[in-house]
Amino acid sequence: MADIRIAQAAPAAGRGAAPAAPPPAGFGRGPAHTGPVPALEFITRLHQRSGAPTRPQTLDRVVAGDVTADVTGIACMALATFDGLKAAAAAGRNLVIVLEDTWWSDNDDLQRLEGNSTYKAKRDFIRAHNLVVARFGDHIADMKPNPIAMGMAQQLGWENYAADKNDPVRFNVPSTTLQALAQSLGRTLGSRTLRAVGDPNLPVSKIGVIWGNADQLPSIRLLNTDIDTLLVGYTHEWEAVMYCQDQVAVGMKKSLISLGQAAGEQAGMKYFATWLKTIIDEVPVGYIPLAEPYWNLSQPVNLVSTKI
Amino acid sequence: MEGGRAAGLTRRSILAASAAGAGLVAAGGPALGATLTAGEILNRMKQNVGGPWRDGGVDHFTVGGPDTAVRGIATVMMCTFDALKDALKAGCNMVISHEPTYWSHPDRLDDIKDDPLYKIKLDYVTRNNMAVFHFHDHWHGLRPIDGIHVGEAAQLGWTRYMHKDNPRFYTLPSMTLLDMAKHIQSALAVRTMRIIGDPAMAVSKMYASYGNFGGISGAAILDGPDCDVMVIGEAQDWDLPMYVQDTMAAGNKRAFIMIGHDKSEQWGMKYCAEWLSGFIREIPCKYVPIIEPYWNPEKPVMEINTKI
Repeated sequence: MADIRIAQAAPAAGRGAAPAAPPPAGFGRGPAHTGPVPALEFITRLHQRSGAPTRPQTLDRVVAGDVTADVTGIACMALATFDGLKAAAAAGRNLVIVLEDTWWSDNDDLQRLEGNSTYKAKRDFIRAHNLVVARFGDHIADMKPNPIAMGMAQQLGWENYAADKNDPVRFNVPSTTLQALAQSLGRTLGSRTLRAVGDPNLPVSKIGVIWGNADQLPSIRLLNTDIDTLLVGYTHEWEAVMYCQDQVAVGMKKSLISLGQAAGEQAGMKYFATWLKTIIDEVPVGYIPLAEPYWNLSQPVNLVSTKI
Repeated sequence: MEGGRAAGLTRRSILAASAAGAGLVAAGGPALGATLTAGEILNRMKQNVGGPWRDGGVDHFTVGGPDTAVRGIATVMMCTFDALKDALKAGCNMVISHEPTYWSHPDRLDDIKDDPLYKIKLDYVTRNNMAVFHFHDHWHGLRPIDGIHVGEAAQLGWTRYMHKDNPRFYTLPSMTLLDMAKHIQSALAVRTMRIIGDPAMAVSKMYASYGNFGGISGAAILDGPDCDVMVIGEAQDWDLPMYVQDTMAAGNKRAFIMIGHDKSEQWGMKYCAEWLSGFIREIPCKYVPIIEPYWNPEKPVMEINTKI
């Protein structure tokens, strides 16, 4: 298993490069006659052209595959689920750029997966289809503008409601109720089981977002601004969820909606894929949406594929 | 089984309490107007958990202290503001809470000393002469069986299906995943449970980890022969739920039910009130149900009391 840290693979020249800066010689697009492009070349180009300073410590790295493999196409997705990898392989795209993990832990830790049959099956699938999975979430978060924020705002049709169009994390939407907002988000983002905290009839127009995982303090600080509701991908129930419930219990007009991790960020990878096309035109580049794994008793339907 | 054991401990502990000169032991139940110090209550708890009391961990007074005069004890799943109000309404000024008071597992105060909600909560508990004991680690450490597991199994009506050598495993009569989900939702009074798996799949080998459960530990259990359905409280989408999704995508027949943190452990705190009543006779020990923070858009509800 290749374990090449992107941070190490990228030359120091990439550090702090502005998005518009021309790529240094040797890392730009090669002449067509040089033939297929190996994954490492695209990953390096992505790193350099993203404009995100190389982080000294990062979870971003190639988490699976052989970086010398020739790339047939690129798939961008939120989490490298087995389902997502199957869809990438079926689309003939063997380089997968992913925001989150592949191996079921924050740091893609393989130490304790020794002998695990699902690990083996997924690894064998990756090998059989010559896939390369590169995690890039930390650096995507450092891109300007942030593709996740831009893509989510676009997906929701909220670009014009953003307080800062280049950093759309605060919105002033036409007044609605918490329940109507929750229903609309469920439909737009494909979340069947999203969960809301607060009075369903609460009037809502000022919205703050932390796409993806929302840590305790940033969530609490945001809930203490003038927002009516906080949207998150996920946050611990014993932290921000409880905090919001307590705010409501002392009469504050606050609410929170937990969307689910993929639903709460993956439209950002659609935006990212569109950007990626501007720096890679040798192979097809696209976004692969992930189906929500959960169902509840209102809609007991499994969407996870069980066929290899 | 658990009942007989608890009764045994009860007799011993009452003798111990009398011998220690605690006095006030009334055979006929709580005496009107009686009080005990929170410190005496904690001492008796230490004598009755059945194992060593360890320093470190998160168990501590988050409000008040050993000298607080207690006229009634409320056991709750999480020390939300709602729980404090309900405890007072039930005549209890001591709360024994499985989860935090201040929105983080260790009830960390460093970053929230100036938080407006922290000040309101602190003022409320001080004004009402309350004591709150965070009773997490040692309630899980109750011998011979984790107190949360005793209470949850009883509420599910599945105590007899628990494995004697490891009470986290159950061998149940075979049922479909959908029927199991319906039973759990109804028995534990859950609103926003989420499920992964084929609703028609037959399940019987259950592994339960109430509360929060991590991906790597869960992966090893789901990869073994003794679990076809895992029932937990809460997990991060990108670890355990993603593993379940992937093991299904690898062709393994597995299922997963995520109850929500509060409802997955609160019945264990109902048992805690029964356990306390066995060795605290002078004052009432009552179980106070938690308010599930969430609702789904198709079934909005407002249970949080907004009056302070």
